[in-house]
Amino acid sequence: MKRFSLNKMLVWSLFGICVLWLVIPFTLAILWSFVDPSEPWTPDHLLPPVMSFARWEYLWEHSSLKVAMLNSYLLAPSAALLTLTLAMPTAYALGRLHFKGKEAVKLLVLLPLVVPGFVTAIFFTAILFQMGLHAWRFGAILFAHSILFLPYAIRIMSVSFEQVRQNHIDAARDLGATPFARWKVAYFPALKPGVMATLLIVFIYSIEEFAIAFIVGSPNFTTIPTLLFTNLGANFIRPNAAVISLILVVPNVVLMLFLERLLKSANPALSSGKG
Amino acid sequence: MKRWLKISLLLMPGLGLILIFIGSVVYIAIAQSFGYFNLSGESGFSLEYWAKMFDRLSYSRAIGYSLYIGVASAFLAVIFAYPLAIWLRRPFAGSLFISAVLKAPLLVHGLVVAFLYINIISYNGIVNQLLQALGIWDGPHRLQNDSGAVGVLILQTWKNMPFALLLLSGAVQAIGDDLLDAAADLGAGPFDRFRRVIAPLAVSATQAALVIVFVGALADFSFQVIAGPINKQSLSQLMVFFKGYGRWHDAAVIAVTLMGLGIAGSGVLALFSRFVLRGGRLS
Repeated sequence: MKRFSLNKMLVWSLFGICVLWLVIPFTLAILWSFVDPSEPWTPDHLLPPVMSFARWEYLWEHSSLKVAMLNSYLLAPSAALLTLTLAMPTAYALGRLHFKGKEAVKLLVLLPLVVPGFVTAIFFTAILFQMGLHAWRFGAILFAHSILFLPYAIRIMSVSFEQVRQNHIDAARDLGATPFARWKVAYFPALKPGVMATLLIVFIYSIEEFAIAFIVGSPNFTTIPTLLFTNLGANFIRPNAAVISLILVVPNVVLMLFLERLLKSANPALSSGKG
Repeated sequence: MKRWLKISLLLMPGLGLILIFIGSVVYIAIAQSFGYFNLSGESGFSLEYWAKMFDRLSYSRAIGYSLYIGVASAFLAVIFAYPLAIWLRRPFAGSLFISAVLKAPLLVHGLVVAFLYINIISYNGIVNQLLQALGIWDGPHRLQNDSGAVGVLILQTWKNMPFALLLLSGAVQAIGDDLLDAAADLGAGPFDRFRRVIAPLAVSATQAALVIVFVGALADFSFQVIAGPINKQSLSQLMVFFKGYGRWHDAAVIAVTLMGLGIAGSGVLALFSRFVLRGGRLS
């Protein structure tokens, strides 16, 4: 009884904190994005006096939002596919083979996560300068994102490879399956959730990545986070920043929720067809 | 094909690329800080860049400031996350929802968090208006870019607390009820149960949370630029400043400092948390 009432009290206080920390900030951002330029939202008004989609339309037509979205949404799926492709052989070795130094390899693949993002960004630019590749910004950022997010892909895919059941592979081989057919019936069902999770997680991280896109891409190559950063600094116009914030956050929240569902479904028993 | 060759070829596209490029990043940063890889002149070993940097007041201030942000953020995130992890240890009606809401900031981009924050604390924002309506303040106050970096600490805690909660929840949930019940039967109160049972058993998760939050906050750039004090610079900010002027060697000195502080600070925090949570013992 005592625990029940304490929980009730804590739940209500937490509800208050959530309103303060989540509901109010996001409601304000949404309201600011709908402030019509003809009538500013002054402190004496509880709500914007005139609301419209004018800011959204203006940013779409007259800012680099379209280019930034195109860059971000081209970069992210490309980075996801490239990272997955690069990660697969290493993940296979870590998930299916036993060799000396395997634990050291598992630690070393985490290296990109240990080095601070801006250090990687700045000195990766130095490497690009030395290689003469700094002019092709898209390719440079794509390559940098792929390396930066390899630890996530290798980790997820090596767990997936561990979940492939040897008796499935042996059974397929005994029944005369070709290497491709073996891959299709024994490997793919177990790897599918991992592949989807890798693609999604790299996609989300690539869309959100700021340091490399800012350092390697500046001043010509914009992504959604670099555009938001510009709009939060010298070019700060609150309604415009609100629009870009919502464009950055809403699709990612939806994708993250989808990812969580996917990871929950990545049960080894289900994916390998055994209960 | 020889087995070692097969394994090497398999590791090449993943581990190989990581070692070549991230290893090069670290190597170039260290080498440039000692005068090598000069993009515009003679390359050669030199301590000149380090010596000049040590004489700069902005460098020592940036070290102090970044350490302050890193350490304070790490402790704040863990201090807020611990009671929540213990509270949510056993499921109850609504606990899943609460857990999901608490972890929501993980889904929000850092720059968006910064925007939401400066929106609220702006000169005519909701906080200023509320405090004026309550009669606490006579007029609006400027809260953004405060000199004590409270804004940066709030942002770091908001963004990192869910991550610390995620790590601590796993560790706290793994502690069996029988252990806690036995401690309670022996007369241990809630604080003693935390001090003598939960804290020592969750040392690894606490260390991980402290270190990960510390390393991220130590290298903070965007929160500092948007909401941080205008008279102070973080190490990342100083590094970007030098790089912006093409002063690669100076940027490299900062980068090496940042990595060194990250490693040393992580070690100190890990040892300190182990020492405190194990009641003054390291082993």
